[in-house]
Amino acid sequence: MADQRGDWLRQIKMAWEVSPFAIELSALSEPELPSLASFLASGPSLPFRYISIHGPSKDLQGDEEKLVAELAGLAPYANAIVMHPDTIEEPALFQVLGHKLLLENMDSRKELGRTRQELEPLFAELPDAGFCFDVPHSWSVDPTMEIAGELLEGLGARLRHVHLSSLSEDLHHVPLTVEHEALFRPTLERCLDVPWIFEAPPRGLA
Amino acid sequence: MGASGASPLEVLAQKAGREFPHLFAARKRTASGLAARSQRLQGLSHSPDASVVLMGSWGRAEVTAGSDDDFMLLVHGVERDAVEPSVAAVGGVLDSSPGTQGIFGVPVFSDRLVHDIGLDQDDNSNLTRRMLFLLESAPVTGAEAYRAVREEILDRYVDDSVKAYRPPRFLLNDVVRYWRTICVDFAGKEHESPKKWGLRNAKLRTSRKILFAGGLLPALECFRFDLGEIRDYLEGQLDLVPTDRIAQCFLVHNAVEPGARTFGAYDEFIGRMNDKEFREDLGKVDRDNCANSSAFADVQRIGHELQDGLLALLYETRTLPQVVRDYAIF
Repeated sequence: MADQRGDWLRQIKMAWEVSPFAIELSALSEPELPSLASFLASGPSLPFRYISIHGPSKDLQGDEEKLVAELAGLAPYANAIVMHPDTIEEPALFQVLGHKLLLENMDSRKELGRTRQELEPLFAELPDAGFCFDVPHSWSVDPTMEIAGELLEGLGARLRHVHLSSLSEDLHHVPLTVEHEALFRPTLERCLDVPWIFEAPPRGLA
Repeated sequence: MGASGASPLEVLAQKAGREFPHLFAARKRTASGLAARSQRLQGLSHSPDASVVLMGSWGRAEVTAGSDDDFMLLVHGVERDAVEPSVAAVGGVLDSSPGTQGIFGVPVFSDRLVHDIGLDQDDNSNLTRRMLFLLESAPVTGAEAYRAVREEILDRYVDDSVKAYRPPRFLLNDVVRYWRTICVDFAGKEHESPKKWGLRNAKLRTSRKILFAGGLLPALECFRFDLGEIRDYLEGQLDLVPTDRIAQCFLVHNAVEPGARTFGAYDEFIGRMNDKEFREDLGKVDRDNCANSSAFADVQRIGHELQDGLLALLYETRTLPQVVRDYAIF
């Protein structure tokens, strides 16, 4: 859904077609944040009961204090702000986001944040932070889904929402395949009480 | 209780690897508080058909530092003038008098609770007394009278209309009616005065919802039982506190992890309510200033997590959603 970056109305329309329940507004590069802040400050009437904002993981400007201040400005409009662990340099700066900060498990390309053991030290520094469980990321690390199980066992108490899709060969999010739906089902059945965010259009809407 | 003697909440905690420290501490506080109050009340002369019953957080085993001694002087029988002890005498022994709403300011005679269900005579007070007695109460004295009244009320609900492997609609409808009454009365109270809006809102999102789910789930769960088993099942459920009834339902429907997150949220709420400063912060919250309150923001988050867990149990597990679809709305 990279073609929708920065187009907030289009992201909302697309999410609404899937469900009026939950949305994740993705500001994947730091320069997109001011535009998102302006959009949300304009007071749009949104139908969603759960609003997540995916914080930037690209084009980071190198001033983490400024980044956190921008995210804190967005926090009143959202239930959650998702960050990639590998983008966080000084965890203490992010404490100001409290319970709204969610840390997402990473895919196999990354060198940290992939497993329970790699995530737990960061959660120790950010005790109020929740867990955003990216199911295909855990599959990319371990296609047997054992790592997925370990993540839920260790971090299940913090679970706030799920990211769902399949992954292409180069590990980009693509619509959930029938095979992955079957493979992920036992894992997803442990997450019935939290929103599931599709990171690629579900089949039928793709 | 589980086979090991552990309560359903303890079993859920064990299966999920969680602790729920505030909920279990509140259970201990409740048990010791009930024992102390029982001893103090022994000094009062009791009519043989009277029972002093503690309500609210006492009945949920969730006593915190801010809990009041809301009590009901229950009498097993028809209305009469002379009852021992008097409400005033009980109030003098307990730490605080009955709530200002006045529904527990007079003796409650079982005749009305049992026989005045529905129609004009079942006013807001009678419905409230009956439901709180049934769903979140604990006898401090007169356990026999207490049990006899509960059995008579159950006999009214579990009548000839009840069918095997189906929820008892009479009871289910009354429980749902009570929950909706609470919600409507919340709006009515706000219309009268904005005072205590934050605290009332917090309770509606949490402990009131636990109270409702603690009645709704056992009624729905009757779909698993034959005709001869339903009454015993319900009586067994009412012997449990609401959090145990709900925990058992999460266990039965194999939803341990959503259940653990539900009780994790509620555990946090109980812990926060044990903190004077937090309660005072909530006490200052009204609809106009709630967006500026961090205490209220926490309550909103906790309330969402609690409700999402209960909704997952009702709508996302394997068998319960069909029962909810068939019985919970119409």
